[in-house]
Amino acid sequence: MQYMKNRMLDRELKKGSAELLILSLLEDQPRHGYDLSKLIEARSGGVLTFRVASLYPLLYRLEKRGWILGRWIEKAGQRRRRYYRLTPVGANVLASQRDTWREFVLAISRVTGVEHA
Amino acid sequence: MPEWPDDVAEELRQHLDDQYRDLRAAGASHDDALRAMADDVNAVRSRPSGLRPELIAADVRYAFRTLRRNPGFAIVVLLTLALGIGANAAIFSVVNGVLLRPLPYHDADRLVVIWGDLHRPGVNEIPTSAGEFVDYRDRTHAFEQLAAYDTLGFNLTGNGEPERVEGAAVTASLFSLLGASAQVGRTLLREEEEPGRGSVVMLSHTLWRRRFNANPAIVGRSVLLDGRPVQVVGVMPASFQFPDHTIELWTPMVFDAEAVSDNNRGSHGYTVIARIKAGLTREQAHADLAGVTSTFKAEHPDNYRSGFSARLRPLQDEVVGDTGRPLLVLLGAVALVLLIACSNVANLLLARAASRRKEIALRTALGASRGRLIRQLLTESVLVSLIGGVIGLVIAAWGVQLLIAAAPDSIPRLQEVGVDRRVALFTMFVSFACGLLFGLAPARRASRLSLNDALKEGGRSSAVGTRGPVGRVLVVSEVALSLVVLVAAGLLIRSFARLQDVQPGFDSSNLATFRLSLPPSRYSFEQGDRFFDELFARVRSSPDVSGVAATSALPFSGTGGGRTFHIEGRRVERPQDQPEEQIRFVTDGYFTMMGIPIISGREFSRRDTLAGVRVAVVNDALARKHWPHESAIGKRVSFSERDPQWYEIVGVVGDVKHRGLDVADRAELYIPHRQPLFSGPTVRPMYLAVRASSDPFAAVAAVRRELRRLDPNQPVSDVRTMDERIGRSLSSRRFSTVLLAVFASLALALAALGIYGIVAYSVTERTHEIGVRIALGAQRRDVMAMVVGQGMTMTIVGTAIGVAASAALARLMSSLLFGVSAVDPATFVAIPLLLIAVALAACYVPARRAMRVDPLQTLRSE
Repeated sequence: MQYMKNRMLDRELKKGSAELLILSLLEDQPRHGYDLSKLIEARSGGVLTFRVASLYPLLYRLEKRGWILGRWIEKAGQRRRRYYRLTPVGANVLASQRDTWREFVLAISRVTGVEHA
Repeated sequence: MPEWPDDVAEELRQHLDDQYRDLRAAGASHDDALRAMADDVNAVRSRPSGLRPELIAADVRYAFRTLRRNPGFAIVVLLTLALGIGANAAIFSVVNGVLLRPLPYHDADRLVVIWGDLHRPGVNEIPTSAGEFVDYRDRTHAFEQLAAYDTLGFNLTGNGEPERVEGAAVTASLFSLLGASAQVGRTLLREEEEPGRGSVVMLSHTLWRRRFNANPAIVGRSVLLDGRPVQVVGVMPASFQFPDHTIELWTPMVFDAEAVSDNNRGSHGYTVIARIKAGLTREQAHADLAGVTSTFKAEHPDNYRSGFSARLRPLQDEVVGDTGRPLLVLLGAVALVLLIACSNVANLLLARAASRRKEIALRTALGASRGRLIRQLLTESVLVSLIGGVIGLVIAAWGVQLLIAAAPDSIPRLQEVGVDRRVALFTMFVSFACGLLFGLAPARRASRLSLNDALKEGGRSSAVGTRGPVGRVLVVSEVALSLVVLVAAGLLIRSFARLQDVQPGFDSSNLATFRLSLPPSRYSFEQGDRFFDELFARVRSSPDVSGVAATSALPFSGTGGGRTFHIEGRRVERPQDQPEEQIRFVTDGYFTMMGIPIISGREFSRRDTLAGVRVAVVNDALARKHWPHESAIGKRVSFSERDPQWYEIVGVVGDVKHRGLDVADRAELYIPHRQPLFSGPTVRPMYLAVRASSDPFAAVAAVRRELRRLDPNQPVSDVRTMDERIGRSLSSRRFSTVLLAVFASLALALAALGIYGIVAYSVTERTHEIGVRIALGAQRRDVMAMVVGQGMTMTIVGTAIGVAASAALARLMSSLLFGVSAVDPATFVAIPLLLIAVALAACYVPARRAMRVDPLQTLRSE
């Protein structure tokens, strides 16, 4: 069952919800890649995981579209890390994706009778 | 965007560093942390991309396009494969139908035949007597059911021409044992086995259709069998045949008190089949049976003087008999032919891979991985092979019809042979395996190319051809494989030739033969005797007939039997030492008419009746066996111990082949037809042999005419000329010899093609080099020697390996040979020479082309 769930989620992620996740996490502050992957895993209770091989290509794709921007930032006593922050374009995309997602989830729950948590 | 590669590398490194640190902090060991991270990185790559359906579909589409671009190549490859696979599928169909498919009876794997063993030489696999059958049936526990049967012929009269029909007397249990029921009416009842109630008969579907127009109303009516009215109770469905397709009716087996008495305990005339209870093994059933047979000697000491035991043999083995070995040899040979075809195709692909180097190099440069390329090329070869397989299946369906038409009757279950699901699966499996087999080497080779090499070399290639080891190995194995098939065919052909030189011991020319069975219900022994006298007198007056005689067991008719006897003045200490030889009852003049030489003494005359002295004639083999140092003439033999009637040996005649030209002569004892062994004789079925003045069929017609005048209700059966009988006895051998010869020719042609192909390819590939050599002063003779030498080296190595392999495999062949050793020196010399000669011819053509290379032209084209 767990396997089935993962497979379904995987496919959903591929369909664009992965973008929504990344954009949401970057909304209030810039984060680096490892931070993003840990946050997704932690906040989803381990249901969603991002692997190296899929996370970074996604970040680069989003950056190329101009939705996020990566910058090398050095903090005292640490090596420099590449932090990603949301661009204004990205913020617009996030807002519209959120609406779409909300409608989608609502529609799904109406059809399936599953209560929206 | 981060800069490639430094920024990206740094970022990923950071990620991995962090991950490692966290994993360690969470308590993972160094190794575990590394493994977890590696799994993370690999997670996406590890998806088995080769099995993704969309990739396979793309490969298949690409393969189709490639084949369409080169139709000549595709046709040659497809034809080679279709023939090879088709021949395999056809032979496999026969093997499948005859050997593999279960018999068409319910749960056939639990059916066994019970044979008796009297613990004496020559009588260790004998049928069962009525008493033994009753004991098996009533005293064993391991069998669900037992049934006994005996095949016998009947004269069927009324409703048109009298006809001789083969039938079987069976116990009523037979039908339920086999799980068969009647199509019309019913099967036999147990009470119909009782004396006086057995006047019923069941018809086969073929007899019902042929003789009674498939009229269901025949059930309940009476027909005349041997002149006796019997009631038809049922008709079996077309699918039912037992024991084989020649049997057309079944009557109940009647065991009266006399049949099961001790008097008849020694009459081993019935075949017993049994169904082992579900869950029991054959060993357990045998142990149960042994418990019963172990008491026989104590209960019937006279009948089992040296003891008795029974053995079980699966019914399937019984039906298939000894046809398995030749069929498997044929399957082996045809598989070798397919291997040779595969080698040829592999060589073609190798050569083509060379011309596709640029395409492959380009795909590599565009990022196709080596695995991806191999997969692509293998997809192509498997695709070709599967298409070849489908065409092959069509060829097989047609070939099977041809095989069935050409096959001798002696192969059992031939009517069941056909292309079924198992044959189709086998064919597809073979095709798939072939595709992998011949595709792998070229694919591996092609994928190893680098762009650099491919472009550097221009149009020329040295990766394949004679200089590449793979091509050479393929040709050498082709030669070796075809030599094995050729030697096998050579040995069979030599055997067949030897066999045809064998003299049967009598004159078979213009000899017509047929069976005449006067029914005991209408003829007493004396009436039968008079009938033959009258018939012979009338037939001899016909201008179409130059002689006529009759025998109880005609050579090449499949009839005959042995009998124990006593020799006057010789005491036999142990029962197993009592002589038992073949016995034949013949009419007077039989030997002269048949052309069997009389070596000494005289043959039977009209005066040898019960009124005169009882006489016998023996053949040379019997005389030498029992009287090795003296003349047999004047010696006396008898057939009963207590009240001996002595038969005096008055003549010694030449040996005849009786069961087949390849069967050793047997000792035979001839008794005059008019001097039966025991009192109260019954008329016995006889074979008539008629020597025609010119046309055997005119002679048969003359006999039939006289017969109809004497008794219009008397049919004849099994009408054949003697030459036809001898031919039929060879038909099984002829069949496997011809087939193997066909396969061998195919193998030879393919091997020659293979040698030609590789030598010709190497000449094309080396045109430039040859041109340079000639320009530098090489003689054209030298060029020719170089090219031919190359091909012949491969041929000779292959021949040597093939000879060794043939010698090793000879053991498998020896049982199929006659008069030829399995390592027959003549065959082992002639066949390699033949192969070398053909190979030489195959090399000569390209060598001549090499000789004509124009140095100027090749150099100019540089």
